[in-house]
Amino acid sequence: MATLCCLTVWPCFADDTNEVRLLGDIDDGSLAIPVHIILLYDEEGGKISPEDELTLPFSTKQTCGACHNYEIIKKGWHFNAIDPNVSAGRKAQPWIFVDAQTVTQIPLSYRKFEGVYHPGKLGISPWKFTELFGRQMPGGGPGELDTDDYDEIMRQSVSGKLEINCLSCHNADHGQDQTEYASQVALQNFRWAATAACEFASVKGSAKDMSETWDYMMPDVLDDPDKVPPTVKFNKNVFDNKNKVLFDIVRKVPVKRCYFCHSNKILAEKTSEKWMADEDVHLSAGLSCVDCHRNGLDHNIVRGYENEAKKSSNPLAKTSTCESCHTTGRLGAPVPEHLGIPVVHFTKLTCTACHSGPAPVEKAPGLKTSRAHALGTHSVNKSDEALPHITTTVLAEQDGKIAPHNLIWPAFWGSMKEEQVAPIAINIVKPLTAKVISKKSLPPSGDWPEVTSEQIKKILTLLTSELEEGVPVYICGGKLYQIDKDKLKAEEHEAAKPYLWPIAHNVRSAAQSLGAKSCGDCHSTDSAFFFGSVAVDSPLVADKGVVKQMFEFQGLDQFYTKAFAWSFMFRPWFKIVTLCSCSIISVVLLLYGLKALACITKILAGKD
Amino acid sequence: MFSIVSITGFAVLFFVIILHCLCTRQKPDKLSGEKRKCLLSLLCFECKSGFLGILRKLVYLAALLCFVVLFVTGFYQPLINGEHISGFPIMIHATAAPVFAVFIAILAVMWAGECVFDKNYWPWLTKLLQRQPKSDSKPQRYEFLLKACFWAILVLALPLILSIVLSMFKIFGTSMQELFLDVHRYTSLATAIVIILHTYLMIRSQEAK
Repeated sequence: MATLCCLTVWPCFADDTNEVRLLGDIDDGSLAIPVHIILLYDEEGGKISPEDELTLPFSTKQTCGACHNYEIIKKGWHFNAIDPNVSAGRKAQPWIFVDAQTVTQIPLSYRKFEGVYHPGKLGISPWKFTELFGRQMPGGGPGELDTDDYDEIMRQSVSGKLEINCLSCHNADHGQDQTEYASQVALQNFRWAATAACEFASVKGSAKDMSETWDYMMPDVLDDPDKVPPTVKFNKNVFDNKNKVLFDIVRKVPVKRCYFCHSNKILAEKTSEKWMADEDVHLSAGLSCVDCHRNGLDHNIVRGYENEAKKSSNPLAKTSTCESCHTTGRLGAPVPEHLGIPVVHFTKLTCTACHSGPAPVEKAPGLKTSRAHALGTHSVNKSDEALPHITTTVLAEQDGKIAPHNLIWPAFWGSMKEEQVAPIAINIVKPLTAKVISKKSLPPSGDWPEVTSEQIKKILTLLTSELEEGVPVYICGGKLYQIDKDKLKAEEHEAAKPYLWPIAHNVRSAAQSLGAKSCGDCHSTDSAFFFGSVAVDSPLVADKGVVKQMFEFQGLDQFYTKAFAWSFMFRPWFKIVTLCSCSIISVVLLLYGLKALACITKILAGKD
Repeated sequence: MFSIVSITGFAVLFFVIILHCLCTRQKPDKLSGEKRKCLLSLLCFECKSGFLGILRKLVYLAALLCFVVLFVTGFYQPLINGEHISGFPIMIHATAAPVFAVFIAILAVMWAGECVFDKNYWPWLTKLLQRQPKSDSKPQRYEFLLKACFWAILVLALPLILSIVLSMFKIFGTSMQELFLDVHRYTSLATAIVIILHTYLMIRSQEAK
């Protein structure tokens, strides 16, 4: 009834039926948060009641979608990666497929970032992608696509689709358990994940263990006691006398919700534990993530980078950059003075180069992220050596300016045709690499197995017979390996270049920014900014210990960089010499100026 | 804006110089062999004899060389590429700059005494003021302009140098840094014009002797 009401009352606001704004989508101006005591609906739109014989999981699309237009929301940034018409904008963190036995770590994305690969190229279907990475996705996107793979159609009917889980962000209750959500996704309980994660329900069983003919609406009684079908149990007294439940919904997403997918762990001695690391200065000052990263109903969230307004339709994109807040004082942002900083720095560097990420150190540290390493989930490998290997605070060029980046060196098997490298599907590579690299050689830490050039050569030889076209190659450590006249040849190649994505957090305070102490923070012969080392990550034994220096990622010449750093040693002398010269010139001008003045006064006085 | 002003300024300067050359040139057959030699000898900068004279000439030539280096490195990127000076040009510019400052200071001390306006440059003014100039000798051709250029260079040198040196201290913020940069740009433009004019007049005055 409410749904009918919602759909009929406000159609006048719609351009088409999909754009109808529902009850909860029209702002009445009240800053108070509506209390969400609402009915639960299942996937088919049926009401859920505690008296139901079969307790079904609630569907966010049907439950939240009764008052909030799901079709508008699903176009938002967190859900629209699969839409080829959406501009990718600035490079971002990819999903990283890792398989130690096939010595693979390859950046994947549905977005068209340069240097990432479409999951389909690796033979990963949207359904499989959801199973692999849905742990740290808020649902939607590939989770809602109908699979084309015949083998997966039945499995998808068992698992259900992974709908957008509004509660992942908007549920303020302390009982919202995203770790449970990740566990449910791993069990292929896509349909049950949102219910399992909320504070008033629990789910046991696994869709993964069910046969392809299992129907969640009419579950069979299973003979095998080890195979438990997914079942929902709502907590006692959660339903009121109208069969409604209370959701603690907030408009302003709490920071802890963002942290589940957007946490980082710097692999450095000084900050190896949570309590040792400082949080972003904006959070310390009392702001939350969504104070800057805002969106409306369309969930087209502000990402906050320079020139985002040129690609984003969010009206706040222009006013939510570092510069826009810190030149206007919006939200209490201090206006920086940048004492003694020549203005050329603002054309050569982004704000983040001096203010964001860990301060550059001699050896760029490793990094673990929520999305890459499943931080916060039960399946996390807590070892610092666990794949994928990401390096942080690599100061590299981005759109003509130097900015801090995270970096990954891709490693994967591909086929090369006319200098273009395409990854080979993992199901083709896996059985072949298993013949050469044994499971026993995989370290328990999750690090690379130690692989020799001979092993690479063997696998490439095996791949030659499997490929219909192209030459088999292996990419790792910034090089492309192929067999040339029965020898393994390594060469530079575009596909072997590291994938870098710019970072903006955690922001350090002004006193901790580069240049706060002196120009020597960057302009010295041993500064990490230019001469810090970045390890080249590779499974190959021969590549251990290879490093690159920061300036190589900045498009600078080695001789120039060293000469420029060296010239700063003479800066104090420059100041002294020029000030002395100015003093002499001033004295000469003063002396003869006074003489001229004396002459003029004599003339005016009529004296000889 | 600076590019437009600079290009206009240099265009006007060179136009004036060329026009002046064309209007005041002597016919080739009137030039004696001696004068041709004079023209060729390093474009006739001042030729006083003695150790001090040689020193003055050397300092002047060195300052001129520094100016050429500063001119090329300072104007090429902003005028041609429309960007801040960076890379090797800024290093060369920053190396030549203090050397130039030292030479300007030395030239200020060495030449100030001779560049006093002590002759009868404008008889009508002398008559009006009923004054007698300190020196009775007749002013040489372009002498007044040369002296005026000398003092203009010294006056311009102060903001030119100080605008960069002061920006190196952690005293001034971004708005002042931008002001200093503008001051440096425009005073360097003015200084360059005056130095080129001064050099041209030096050549012409030696030619006239």
